[in-house]
Amino acid sequence: MKALAGPAMLLILFGGYAIIRMTSGDKTPSRDFTDLELASDDAEHSGTCYALGTVLVANGMFGNAVRTWSSPEKGNKKKWLLTLERVIDGRHGPEQEFQKFTFEQVGEQVRLTSVDASEGVPTDVTANIDRMLHAPHGLGSTPVDRCAKPGATGYQFPPK
Amino acid sequence: MRPLPFSVLLFAACAALAGCSREVTHRQVAEFIDRADDAARKRFAPEICELRAKNFTIDVTSYAEGEREPSELKMTRKLYCQQAGSFSRLRQYKLERKSIDIDMASDRRTATVTAEYVETMPFYEWNPATPDDFVRFQVVESTDVSVVGLEDGDVRFLSTRTEAHQTLVSKNQISLPYN
Repeated sequence: MKALAGPAMLLILFGGYAIIRMTSGDKTPSRDFTDLELASDDAEHSGTCYALGTVLVANGMFGNAVRTWSSPEKGNKKKWLLTLERVIDGRHGPEQEFQKFTFEQVGEQVRLTSVDASEGVPTDVTANIDRMLHAPHGLGSTPVDRCAKPGATGYQFPPK
Repeated sequence: MRPLPFSVLLFAACAALAGCSREVTHRQVAEFIDRADDAARKRFAPEICELRAKNFTIDVTSYAEGEREPSELKMTRKLYCQQAGSFSRLRQYKLERKSIDIDMASDRRTATVTAEYVETMPFYEWNPATPDDFVRFQVVESTDVSVVGLEDGDVRFLSTRTEAHQTLVSKNQISLPYN
């Protein structure tokens, strides 16, 4: 019996580790996901020429807002929800404002598929993509390889 | 007598520890609230934040001076901790606890703490050039109802509901030291 104590302990330890691994999951999207080109919301889903990660960094990951990545579909690493929260001065005092962006990988692109937000904050996908692109356009951020070549075009690219 | 196998002893020890660590005492809760108030007085965000559980939420109903309708604000731990960070910019701050009532749950796993506070701090009506760049203090009287319990063996706030009433007082009517 005594000889079994060691293996039993190991089994408990590794069993616990496996449970933690199975239940924890990734908390942020991988580089493979954020390196994908952000698509526009036009009919062809034209590429914007910027990787999702580039757009987020150019936007300062949306200033002082609290950011939370989550996976809306367990185990689906091709769909991510970015939640932004901040406290604003409302009509009667401090209020919480939120925005929820759902990004989904389709082929070699990532699409913004839906936007949910507090009352008064735009939820139109096209308007949100246009707004997100102001920062990389203004900063002259590095485009994806496809658009680094002369004459390459994309949605609102090259910026005017 | 034959000694008990190691695995049985380990199981018994784990079970005993788990059983003990599930309950909180009145004294633990009272000391915890004192610690939380001290952290707030220091305006030290990491300590303020550490005392909140992973799934902590706070619901704030605040009545600004002159406003009949309150503002409602719900914050997750993450947002609350970010707000606590901005607290450190205050150079004048006073927190007084006026009352406290600790109601232990029948299973002694949680306690509901009702506490009344008065906070005095500068009221910045514009982006201040210096910490002294304000004309009125705000005095905030609040009632906090918090559920306190154990998380990973430590006492933590699990949730808080706050109702706060703001009064604005001319700067020269209050003497508040810098700290």
